[in-house]
Amino acid sequence: MTIVDLKNRYQNTALGFFWSLLSPFLLAMVLYFVFSHLFGSEENFAINLLVGIMTWRFFATSTSVSLYAIVGKPSLVTRVYIPRQILVLSSVLANLVSSLLEFIVLLPIIFVLLGYLPATVLLFPLVHFVYFWFLFGAGLLLSSLFVYFRDLNQIWEVLINVLFFCSPIIYPLTAVPDYLMPYYLLNPVTLFIGMYRDVMIAGDLPSLYSIGVIIGFAIAAYLVGSLVFSKLQRRFAEEI
Amino acid sequence: MSAIIVDNISKKFRIPHEKKTTVFQNIIGLIKRQFDYEEFWALKDVSFEVNKGEALGIIGKNGSGKSTLLKILAQVLYPNSGSVTMNGKVASFLELGVGFQPELTARENVYIYSSILGLRRKQVDRIYDEILDFAELKKFENMKLKNFSSGMYLRLAFSTAINAIPDTLLIDEVLAVGDETFQKKCRDKINQFQTEGKTIVFVSHDLDTVKKLCQRSILLNEGRIVIIGDTEKVINDYLAMLQGGNT
Repeated sequence: MTIVDLKNRYQNTALGFFWSLLSPFLLAMVLYFVFSHLFGSEENFAINLLVGIMTWRFFATSTSVSLYAIVGKPSLVTRVYIPRQILVLSSVLANLVSSLLEFIVLLPIIFVLLGYLPATVLLFPLVHFVYFWFLFGAGLLLSSLFVYFRDLNQIWEVLINVLFFCSPIIYPLTAVPDYLMPYYLLNPVTLFIGMYRDVMIAGDLPSLYSIGVIIGFAIAAYLVGSLVFSKLQRRFAEEI
Repeated sequence: MSAIIVDNISKKFRIPHEKKTTVFQNIIGLIKRQFDYEEFWALKDVSFEVNKGEALGIIGKNGSGKSTLLKILAQVLYPNSGSVTMNGKVASFLELGVGFQPELTARENVYIYSSILGLRRKQVDRIYDEILDFAELKKFENMKLKNFSSGMYLRLAFSTAINAIPDTLLIDEVLAVGDETFQKKCRDKINQFQTEGKTIVFVSHDLDTVKKLCQRSILLNEGRIVIIGDTEKVINDYLAMLQGGNT
């Protein structure tokens, strides 16, 4: 069922895919020209920036699309019985596919700019899967809350932008003052960006601890998300 | 064996005075400690059983809770108390063509709709020809749905739903599909379902159809069961109630 939904989604967007690729790269280019003067000394600034943007983009698009997963399909909620989690899952899955493609396009770029591809890139699917699970949990939470609170989309839009500047995308992690660091690291997107950079660029094997932390975040998001979702979904059909 | 057991269900709707749908309004509401809604019981202490292979009609005035009951059976709404047990696969005909995508072809839509109804791809492969033959749309299988006439649209939806081999059918006045011959075909198909021992729950204002189709019926009024029993008797009671209401 999800496959059918995905396929259906992709028939509409396959052509637009190049456009969707263009936007993160354009954003990266602008940011690169502006900020390379500020942090130009940093090693591999361009690809660090790209990885950061891709990570943040997966978060931004998948949460804001899954926000509408329930509200946007009223007929599937009020007219037939299907497990409603599937609606959220399919919208996050669709974003997973496009983000996978973005990252795959990134690989040759890394190879060119770095001169080689670190072997730890093989860990990428694992990280991406954990990230996906985290986003699925977040999507469950957001989509069910959105049914009751219809201004959540505007609040969320602002939050996503705040998050962009609260994550080490345009500046290195070292630019964060020490006394803020413990709070700063509470942002899961920061952790995921760090993880992606470790495995895709630096070639560092991430420690078991840091992998444990991101898996912990994913599990927590999923548990909270599905708990709230299953509580709230009983009255979806009335509220929508 | 019972196909459906409905045990003492009640359903409460909230009728808000002023709908609060934003975070801001809800915070204000919390501070003021007001609960700005009235409660309205759409269904109250409804219990009945439907045996396997039986056709049950549900009749009643507008707003008597028929559609709410059907939606609870279809698991779209949840009751506030009581429980519903359904045995076997259920297909609900609350609305036809749920999930149809106008940009896709008829063939793709049949697959999507079937998967919403809970069929696997292989199962759809098997019944695909049957669906299109029944809808008499074989010629148009590769046409985009947006170019379909509304009759063709409904025929496609109906025949997909009805060929999805459910054990229980929930029907909410959708038999008025297509022209006379197609309607007859639908009725035949439903009769065939009955002889195959499938269960049907049928909500309608069309008393003649109810009489023809259902052995037993329920009369609902203001969320309660007034009478449950032989269709003939229930319909007479209903007519009597309507007349009583008029005088």
